[in-house]
Amino acid sequence: MNPAPLDARGLGKRFRRDWGLRDCTLTIPHGAVVGLVGPNAAGKSTLLSLAAGLLAPSEGSIAVLGRDPLRDPAVLADVGYVAQSAPLYRSFTIADTIEFSRRTNSRWDEEIVFDVLTSMSPETKVGSLSAGERSRLALALALGKRPQLVLLDEPFARLDPLAGREFLQLLMDGVAETGATVVIASHVVADVERVCDHIVLLTDGGVRLEGNVEELLESHRILMGPRRPLGSIRGVSSIVRERHGDRQLTLLVRSHGPIADPSWRVERVGLEELLLAYMAPERLPTPMPPEKVPLRWHG
Amino acid sequence: MAWVTWRQHRAQLVGALGLVVALALGALATRLPIQAAYHREALSDCLPPASKSGCDIIVRHFESQFDTWVAALRGLAVLPALAGLFVGAPLLARELEHDTHRFAWTQGVTRRRWLLSKTVLLAAATVASAAAASAIVMWWRSPFDTLEGRIAPSAFDVEGVVVPAYALFALAIGVLAGLVFRRSVAAMTATLVAFASTRLVVAELLRPHFLAPLHRVVIGADPIPQTGGWVLNDTLVDAVGRQITAGREDLAVLHAQHAGIDPQTYLVTLGWKRVVAYQPAGRFWTFQLIEAGIFVTLAAAVVLATLWLVRRTPT
Repeated sequence: MNPAPLDARGLGKRFRRDWGLRDCTLTIPHGAVVGLVGPNAAGKSTLLSLAAGLLAPSEGSIAVLGRDPLRDPAVLADVGYVAQSAPLYRSFTIADTIEFSRRTNSRWDEEIVFDVLTSMSPETKVGSLSAGERSRLALALALGKRPQLVLLDEPFARLDPLAGREFLQLLMDGVAETGATVVIASHVVADVERVCDHIVLLTDGGVRLEGNVEELLESHRILMGPRRPLGSIRGVSSIVRERHGDRQLTLLVRSHGPIADPSWRVERVGLEELLLAYMAPERLPTPMPPEKVPLRWHG
Repeated sequence: MAWVTWRQHRAQLVGALGLVVALALGALATRLPIQAAYHREALSDCLPPASKSGCDIIVRHFESQFDTWVAALRGLAVLPALAGLFVGAPLLARELEHDTHRFAWTQGVTRRRWLLSKTVLLAAATVASAAAASAIVMWWRSPFDTLEGRIAPSAFDVEGVVVPAYALFALAIGVLAGLVFRRSVAAMTATLVAFASTRLVVAELLRPHFLAPLHRVVIGADPIPQTGGWVLNDTLVDAVGRQITAGREDLAVLHAQHAGIDPQTYLVTLGWKRVVAYQPAGRFWTFQLIEAGIFVTLAAAVVLATLWLVRRTPT
C-alpha cells in the first residue's frame, strides 16, 4: 500500500501569537478530489503551505506521499502546487515560464501543458495575462509535472464563474489521465461542490468536518416538523443546526439510522447547505441527550 | 539551472558587463595622457631606488597633474558593493516580495539546490567582472604604482585579488540580507551597512597587523625616504625611546626659536629621532592574499549560513 497522498497528525502552525492551524489530523485517500473548504482565515492556505514545504509545523507532523515536505523537499517533484493568486514571474513570457518549469523538474510532460494552454500565444508576457489565463498557465505547469498530488489554493478567487467552470474542466481532464489526488482549497463551497468526492471543512484553524461526500450526505438529514421542545430523537446522534419558524422547526441532524418518528418530515440535505451549516460560527452542534431518558415537556 | 539563472539575472549580468566596458573605455581615454606625460617627463629615470637630483620635483609635478584622477580612482572602491546591492540583495528579496518563491521553491529542484546553483553561477560572474575591473585599474595605475608603491590603501583597495574577494563577500551578504529582511530596499540597506563596516574593520584594524610592521629611524629633518611603503605611524621619541607628546615637541621648537637655533638641529642635539612604522612595498601580494582569504572565507561562511537558513525559514 502506498503511503497516503496527505497525512496530518496533530498538525498545528502558530503565527506569532495566533494559531493558523491547530490540532489537525486527517488522511486524504488516494485518487480523491478533495474540497478543502472553510471561511476566510480558517487555515486552508496554511495547511497547503505546510504540505508544500513552505511552512514549518509548530506542532504535529505532516507527510506528503509518505515524506516530510520540509526535510525531504525532493518529494515536491511529485506535487503540483499552485499558490493563492498563482504567483509567476511577470517579466517572463509564457514560453519562458514553461521553460523554467521544464528545467526545474526532472519529470516533465509538455503535452499536458499545451493541452491546457491550447490557444495561448507563447510570446505573451505573464504580466499582461488576465487572471483566468494566468490561473490556467499555473495549472498547466502544475499538471506538467505529472504530479501524484495537486494542491490548488483558492484557484477560483479571481476567476469569473465561466472561467472557473472551464478551469475545473481542464483540471479534471488533466488528472483523469494521471489519477492524481487533488486538493482544492476554496471559501466558496459552490465552486468545488460539483467535482469533489471528499470534503475537509476547516473553521478557526481546526478540522470541523471531514469525510467522503456520499457518506456525509448519507449520514445527515433535514427534519421538519411542528415546533416542540427538543429532546432526543431516535436515530439522531447530534443536531447540527436548528431553525425555529413561527410554527415549524427545521433541524439539520447527523443520523446513525432511519428516523422513524412520523411527526418529522425527513429530507436529504445538499452538500452546500450541509457545509454552510457546519461553517456557521453561531453555534456548535448539540449532542443529543441519551435516548433512553424520557422526554421532558415544558410549559 | 544555468538557463534559469541567466533568464532571471540577465539584466544584472549585462549591466556588469556594461560597467566593465565603460570602465575600460574610461581607463583607456584617461590613461593615454598619463602615458604621454610619463615619457615626456622621463620619469623612468627617477624610479626608486635611483635618486637623481631633482627627481622629487619631477615626480611631484607628475603626480600633481593627475591627482584628481587618482583620487577619483579611489572611488572605485565602492564597485564591489554593487554586486551585493543589485545582484545579491534582490536575489531572494524579490522572490519573497512578489510571492514567486511559492512557485520557484515548489518545483522538482529543491530550494537549497536552486539557491546554491544561482549563488555559484552569479558568484562566478561577479568574480569575473571584478577581476576584469581590477586588472583595468592595475593597468591604469601602473605608472603611479612604480612611483609610490601600491600597498597603501589608496591603491591596495582597488587592485589585485582583493577586489573580486570583496565583490564575492558583498554578493553573499546581499543574498543573506534578502532572506532575512525579505524586502529589496531593506536588504540593500543592510547589505551596504554590513559590507562597509566589515571592509572598514578589516582595513583599519586588521590589515596593519597582517605582518609585524617594520621600523625605520629618521634623524632630524630628513625626509622619509621614498620606499613605496605604507606608513602606519610616524612618532618622535627621545634618546631612551619614550614617545614625545605634541606639547613637548612644540615647547622644544619654541625654545629653539627663542635661542635662535634651527629647531631641527636642536631636536637632533637633544637626541630625539623619528620612528616610522611601515609596511614595505614588497608585502603587497602577501597582504592581498591574506585580505582576499579573509573575505572569501567570510563569503563562504555567509553562503553556508544562507543555505542553512533558507531551508528553515518559514515563508
